[in-house]
This record gives sequence, C-alpha cells and structure tokens, in this order.
Amino acid sequence: MSYILNRLLSVALTLALISMITFVVTNILPGDVAMVIMGTQSNPEALAGLRENLGLNDPLIMQYGRWVGGMLTGDWGKSLVFKEAIGPLIAQKFVASGLIVVMSMTIALVCAIPLGVWAAVHQNKWQDNAASTTSLLGVSLPDFFWGIMLILLFARYLEWFPSSGFVHPADDFLGAVRHAFLPSLALGLGLMAHLTRMTRSTMTGILNQEFVRVARAKGLSERTVVWRYSLANAIGPVITVAGLQVGYLFGSIIVVESLFNFTGMGWLTYQALLNRDIPLIQSTVFVIAAVVMLTNLLVDLLYVVIDPRIRLN
Amino acid sequence: MAKLFTLKGIVGGSIVLLVLAIALFAPLVIPESYATQMDMRARLSGPTATHIFGTDQLGRDLFYRVTLGAQTSIMIAGTAVLISLVIGLPLGVISGYFGGWIDNVLMRLVDTLLAFPALLLALTISAVLGPNLTNTIIAIGIAFTPFLARIIRGEALRVAQMPYVEAARAAGTNDAAMILRHILPNIMPPIIVQATISLAFAILAEAGLSFLGLGTQPPDASWGLMIQASRDYLDIAPWTALVPGGAVAITVLGLNMFGDVLRDVLDPRAS
Repeated sequence: MSYILNRLLSVALTLALISMITFVVTNILPGDVAMVIMGTQSNPEALAGLRENLGLNDPLIMQYGRWVGGMLTGDWGKSLVFKEAIGPLIAQKFVASGLIVVMSMTIALVCAIPLGVWAAVHQNKWQDNAASTTSLLGVSLPDFFWGIMLILLFARYLEWFPSSGFVHPADDFLGAVRHAFLPSLALGLGLMAHLTRMTRSTMTGILNQEFVRVARAKGLSERTVVWRYSLANAIGPVITVAGLQVGYLFGSIIVVESLFNFTGMGWLTYQALLNRDIPLIQSTVFVIAAVVMLTNLLVDLLYVVIDPRIRLN
Repeated sequence: MAKLFTLKGIVGGSIVLLVLAIALFAPLVIPESYATQMDMRARLSGPTATHIFGTDQLGRDLFYRVTLGAQTSIMIAGTAVLISLVIGLPLGVISGYFGGWIDNVLMRLVDTLLAFPALLLALTISAVLGPNLTNTIIAIGIAFTPFLARIIRGEALRVAQMPYVEAARAAGTNDAAMILRHILPNIMPPIIVQATISLAFAILAEAGLSFLGLGTQPPDASWGLMIQASRDYLDIAPWTALVPGGAVAITVLGLNMFGDVLRDVLDPRAS
C-alpha cells in the first residue's frame, strides 16, 4: 500500500516537473503568442494591448500558475491555428494515435517474439544470422523511409491500402484499420527489429540455464521446453522493453503521421510546432510526455503481474 | 582485439571509415557547383552514364548531392553527440560519484526529461530556436543528453564502488583526482560504445527533423532534406528518395554493426 502511495506521489511530482520543463522550453521562444496572433508587421500599440489582455506582461511564474490552473480545471485554452478549444481537440486526436500505437505494437510483438525465439534456438547458425541481419537493417532505416517505401508498394503499385487520411473507428471500424495499417506498419517494422534483438538475447540467456537442461533431460519435447518453459521466463523483459518503447513510438508518430497525413497527436504536434501555436505546443508536448511517463509506470506494475517472483518495494 | 575483426566488425568498420572519408574528403575533391548545377534537360532522370544515381526535380546530380550531403549529416550528428557528451558526462559522473541528494535531484530531472521522446524534444527545441543548421545540432545534442547522462551515471556509480576506488580514497586521493584518474578512464569503454550508437540515432534524428522541415534548411544539403524534397516525385522518380534514404540506411547500419562489435570488445559485460 505504501509502495503505491509512494509511486503516486512520485507521479504527481514528475507531472509537475514535466509541466515546468514544457512551460520553460516554450517560453524561451523569441516572440510570443501576441506576435503569432497579430503577425510581425502589426501595430505596436495593438500588440501591447493584446499582450496586456492575454496576461503576457505578468511574471512567468504567474503565467505558469494560470496555465496549470487552467489545465487542472479543464480549461486548456484555445489553439491559435485551429481556433478550437485545445482539450477536446487533443482528446479527439488521441483516439487516432492510440489506434496506430496499439496496432504497431501488436504487429511488432507478433512478429518479433517468434523471430527472436527462432534466432535464439538456432544460435550462431544461419537462421540466427538471417534474423540478426534483418533486424539490424530494420533499426537502421528511418521510420519515414519505411513509410515512403510502403506507400510506393502498397498504396501506389498494389493499391491495397490508402496512402493517407484517418477514419474514426466509431464511424467505420474496418476503414479505420485500413487507413491506420500502413502508418502502423512503418512504425512497427523498426520496433519489431528492436524487439527481435531483445527477445533473441533474453532467450539465449535462458536457454543456457540449468532448468532448461533439466527439462530436456526429463525428455520433454523441444516445443514444450522452448515455447512453454523458456518463453514464459523471457516474456517479462521483452514486454518491459516493449512498454518502454512507447516513448520512442510517440516521438516517431510525429514524422510518420505527418507523412501519411494521419490526423493524430503526432500530426497535431507537428502542426503546432510548424505554426508556432504556443498554447497548442505546450499542451501536446505535455500530454505526450505525461502519457509516456504513465506508460512506464504501468509497465512497472504489469511486470509484477507477469512475473510473480518480483516483489514491489 | 580479435573480436573486432569478425565479419560484422570488418563490414561495419569499413562502412564507417568509407562514410567518414567521403564526408571529410569529398568536399575537397568535388567542386560544390557539381551538386548545385541544374541540368534542365535531364530533370528527374533515372540513373544514366552521365548521372549515375539519376537527378532530382531541378536536374541536379544525385550522386554529387548525396556525397556532399554526407558532410552535413555527419557533421550535425557528430557535433550533436559531442554536445550531449559535454553536458552529460559531468552530470552523470557527479551524480554517480557523489550520490546522495545531488544524485537524487539530478536524476529526478534526467528521468523527467526522459519522459519526453528524444525526437519530440529535438523538434520542439528546433522549432523554438528557429530551424537552421546550428539549431538542429543544439536541438539533437540537448535531446540526447538525458539518455547519455543516465548511462554515464550508472557506470560512474558502479566504478565508484570498486575496491580500487576505496583503496585510493584510503590513500587520501581527493575527489577531483579520483574522478580524473580512476573514474573517467574506467567508464570510458561503455561510453565510447554508447556514443557510437548515439551517432547512428543522431543521423536518423537529423533526417527526421529535416524531413519535417524543422532541421537543416536549403541551400545546405543534407540527406533528410533530400528525402523531403523527393516526396512530391515519388511516383515518377522513386530514386530521388532511394538514393538519400539508402545513404542514411547504409551509414546507420555501419554504425550499428560497428557499435555492436565495439561493445563485444570494450564492454563484454553488456553483450
């Protein structure tokens, strides 16, 4: 109980720190919201008036307090580019990104675990080398380059999947999956390569352990030894690494969503950055960092469920 | 050392050397005008005898552009990793060596920064400072610092608990001498490995930033910028993306292979 209380306290502190960092980074901008709204050629008096109205002349600490206060009470401000309330805008885009994060993670895990196990079972043979080379190639290509290749192959030549756009799952679930498939694959390929390497190295360690030798000596089939006993021990670290990759995914979605014109959080963040929409930059950056932090926490807790030998303390 | 000369080590090392040589010497041998000269009759031409890698939408030779772009990409990635080392090394060493409240405060900050995906942090910093070559370097350098600081701290913590450090302390060695003489030399191998791998990530980050228009700006030519420019011509001229994309892939592949082998040699515990 005290562990959970401690963790929650630490989460609150980290969220506060995340909000401070976000606020500080976005406030070293040359120029401010008033300048973005009125443009650089605007009348200085009107600009000064707007600054006063928006409270930009107040000390930074007061502006920060107002921002955090607004976030806590559900008033996240208004986007300068989209002219919409930021809270609902983010909530809406989050669904889209959630879809491709889940899909790419699924693609990555479904392919990486068998491939990694296969490589570990055939350690130092051609199968291992083939899997290692493929995954090394996978981590060496930028996600957006995968994206370009996938668009060329699956959207232009084969015409199996649409090359851009987003459909809300509530409107047309199948359509949503079809639209999300190529961006998810682009993200999933790099991730898969990484997880294959991880699965292989964890499994190699486990296959050399005493209990595996005992299981084999007992005459258990190779399939039971590998898939039931060994993989059960390897899955924890692999899931942990997969969970920690959510941070990497949220970085990559900015590029991949922009390439596929997939209107999720990454696309929204990019639009905010490109148009210097400061209120929107602050909120999207804060939300992404908070989600990454909370996912890491969830992975920590999940680890205990997967591996009961681990005790929280 | 024999481990360095495995197939992987030789291939990886050769790629890294080749790319470094191109980045260093190509600008001395090839006049810049070769990369900017527009051959209007051969716009978006595929690979031919005159243009072995084809040309882009302005009829510029892709072979010369990709060779001269190597310098920009390598320079940005190298300087960025150097910046993250210059900030991350003292942070990590101080945190790991002294421990206590200094460690608590610094690592709390580093952990918080790690919640920001590196690419997001780099994009935000670059957008905030205004995208250009220098700011791209600064943005990637800062974005990579927390990760390196965390690893360096772990290494410093491990070494600080070694018996020889204790012995040196008992002999009256002061903190500064201890860090310089005993901690730093012993944490260097894993840091060199990490820096090599970070270099690969920095090249990918530069490509990503430039691809989004928030990195290197024209007329500077970098690989990411070339891929970005190819976006509108993918259907009719896929080589405009394949050439710079291939350059990024081969370089990063070489660095990753070399980094893997370097890890086997320098940091056997981790491999």
